[in-house]
Amino acid sequence: MGSLVKDLRVLQRGFRWGRRPLAPRNVALPDLAPRDFPTAWARTPAARAARAAIQSGVMKPLIGSQTRPSVYGAHLLKTLTPPVIFYANHSSHLDAPTLLLSLPPWWRERTAVGAAADYFFDVWWRAAATALVINAFPVERAGSRRSTRAAKQMIEGGWNVLVFPEGTRSKDGWLGEFRMGAARLCIENRVPAVPIALRGTYQSMPRGRGWPAPGRKPVRVRFGEPVSPAEGELAPDFATRMRGALELLLEEDRTTWYEAMKRDARGERASAGGPQAARWRRIWEAGEPVADPLARRAWPR
Amino acid sequence: MSRPGFVLEVDERTPPILFHHGESFRLERLPHGSRVIYAPDPLPGIADVDAAIEDALANPMGMEPLPALLKPGMRLTIAFDDISLPLPQMRTPDIRGRVIEHVLRHAARAGVDDVRLYVANSLHRRMTGAEIKRAVGERVFRSFWPDALRNHDAEDRDNLAHLGKTEHGEDVEINKHAAESDLIVYVNINLVSMDGGHKSVAVGLGSYRSVRPHHNVETMMQSTSYMDPRHSALHHSCERMGRIVEKAVKVFHIETTLNNRAFGGSSEFLQKREWEWSLKDQAAFFAAKRANDRAPVKTRRAMFHKIAAPYSVTGIAAGDVDQVHAATLERVHRQQLVEVDGQADVLIAGLPYIGPYNVNSIMNPILAVCEGLGYFFNMYRGKPLVRQGGAMIMFHPVRNEFHSLHHPSYIDFFEQVLSVTTDPETIQAKFEQQFAEDEWYRHLYRTSYAYHGVHPFYMWYWASHAMSHLGDVIYVGGDRSTVARLGFRSASTLADALDMASETTGRSPRITAMRTPPLWLADVR
Repeated sequence: MGSLVKDLRVLQRGFRWGRRPLAPRNVALPDLAPRDFPTAWARTPAARAARAAIQSGVMKPLIGSQTRPSVYGAHLLKTLTPPVIFYANHSSHLDAPTLLLSLPPWWRERTAVGAAADYFFDVWWRAAATALVINAFPVERAGSRRSTRAAKQMIEGGWNVLVFPEGTRSKDGWLGEFRMGAARLCIENRVPAVPIALRGTYQSMPRGRGWPAPGRKPVRVRFGEPVSPAEGELAPDFATRMRGALELLLEEDRTTWYEAMKRDARGERASAGGPQAARWRRIWEAGEPVADPLARRAWPR
Repeated sequence: MSRPGFVLEVDERTPPILFHHGESFRLERLPHGSRVIYAPDPLPGIADVDAAIEDALANPMGMEPLPALLKPGMRLTIAFDDISLPLPQMRTPDIRGRVIEHVLRHAARAGVDDVRLYVANSLHRRMTGAEIKRAVGERVFRSFWPDALRNHDAEDRDNLAHLGKTEHGEDVEINKHAAESDLIVYVNINLVSMDGGHKSVAVGLGSYRSVRPHHNVETMMQSTSYMDPRHSALHHSCERMGRIVEKAVKVFHIETTLNNRAFGGSSEFLQKREWEWSLKDQAAFFAAKRANDRAPVKTRRAMFHKIAAPYSVTGIAAGDVDQVHAATLERVHRQQLVEVDGQADVLIAGLPYIGPYNVNSIMNPILAVCEGLGYFFNMYRGKPLVRQGGAMIMFHPVRNEFHSLHHPSYIDFFEQVLSVTTDPETIQAKFEQQFAEDEWYRHLYRTSYAYHGVHPFYMWYWASHAMSHLGDVIYVGGDRSTVARLGFRSASTLADALDMASETTGRSPRITAMRTPPLWLADVR
């Protein structure tokens, strides 16, 4: 019996049962291109009702039991008209559900999430679950023409779209470089981009963890003011502006709104990309507990 | 077009790699950065094999067409490769039988009455009637067995002819009936680049006297490797002998090549690259491994030896030995060559259940040495796959188990010789003659189904180049005391073996793994 289990485990681990089969890196395998996975069904009235029930009945209590989320700046959404593109820094699998649950219900019901096609849409069961629970649609990370096609269709259909312009979860907790897809999407569809700063999800569930760390770590979500592409603005320029807006928002969350603005005006804004230091130091620093700068201490220092 | 062979670099995405482990398999995770060598995909076979055979016989290379060589009243000898080829045995009809049928059709048309067929088994065991029937086909077997279709007897003094000596003083002695024929037609299967050419007649129909000059430690040490005939003292010797044979008798040489589709049907997963395994392949692996692990060794062995390969014939050439063999080698290389950059510190190989000398038999410890340090180690051209002083790690159970019918002298070699020394040169000097001339072994070779008394010595010599080249040899899963008798070390797991090998190769060695089947030949740059 023991050897049977051992043999099965070798196969299960070695051949990635239940996950997308991957080829070694020095093997070219054109036939393993991402498959198209239909997600239109996830936006039917029945699926929307099921999603609302899952999100409020399961997801919210679950995330609330594992983290301590707090949301700031949601009032800014009142000035917006959908569709918009929400974008945020990305360092954890907690990011998308936390962000969705931070949105007011009216916005949440009308928001779809761009998820990596090669990760979330590799096998049917994960694709179906992701599409149903967070209203995800596949985004190809390879940067091909197909990569933003689905997102474009969503915006044309009146849906707000949540994307992570870094394209992948940060390896060290700091903000990475932006890819052009989100900026191009805004320019082509003439929609504003709303930055959302997320802090604490890296501390709670960084890459490599399958479940949030114990102790209900604080998670902070802060909405910022939208940025819109100027007439004739090119995607690289707009992507830089988008990243700048998010950097400022992260700084605002670390300090205060006014402090962040003053530092920005002085050109002293701390880089959200983290310190230029050895990898371990970057990870070390990013892992510092998230604290509310205005929180009162029972025993002041 | 078939995909060429290639060298994989193991990363975190690489699934475990399949290795043979005697009559079983294992999936092993290799350290990241290890290299794994994969054979080219099977080449497409010839669509009309019969037409290709006819074409080769009618348009031979450097010789007259076969029909022109066949005359009434002549003496014709047809010799063919024995059971050591191909591995595994091919699905019937065997290509040897198909070629022989075509040759015999021409002989019958020409009115040749004196036809004799010989299994060119040299000092190997005699083939049984059933085995011969499988190789030559029912029609040929029924027409000639047992009088005119026989095993060659290298100890039949009355039927051996000494044809002279080469310029290096090598005795050339072959089957007398063949030597006195008007024409020898030799039919081979060229599975690897070591096979064929002048080796076919000179060795296949030779005697101990004519095999001894090149089956020795000195020749093996100068054959780097014997899979590369240009740099093989063994082949140079055979070529010199072949010239003497050709002076005495006309040889019409027919060589055939097969693609490398060694496994099909439910065992096709053995052929496939692991990341291309479907769920069906994984299930087939799982079922085969489970069934294997539970079955008694004898049942397991019987199941494995029943496997017949769905090879396709990739080419047939006939005529002058040298010209034919050059064309054959070119086809073998097209199927098997893989370019490999640089040598490794550690070479890993899984030894299969079968080798040339244990078809329908047991791979005993001495054959396991020959298989690993002889054949697998020598699957290179240019430089060995592993550096001088490196380590070779092999997967094999190395049981202290012998086939008493097929390998009687092996048992005594293991008990009497290896208990004294494992040094090939000492063994050759002190013990070879005694075993080679032992009357009991001679009797068993001639009348039973035993390999010649000297055969285990050759297996040991076959490994001598590897033994002197390597700093460490480790059998993973090998029986401890048996492996110790062979002069090597055994380990329980690959991780242990790598740890043990680090004594000679350092803590971060370059590792190359040989992924077989199918077979390949490394062109090491």
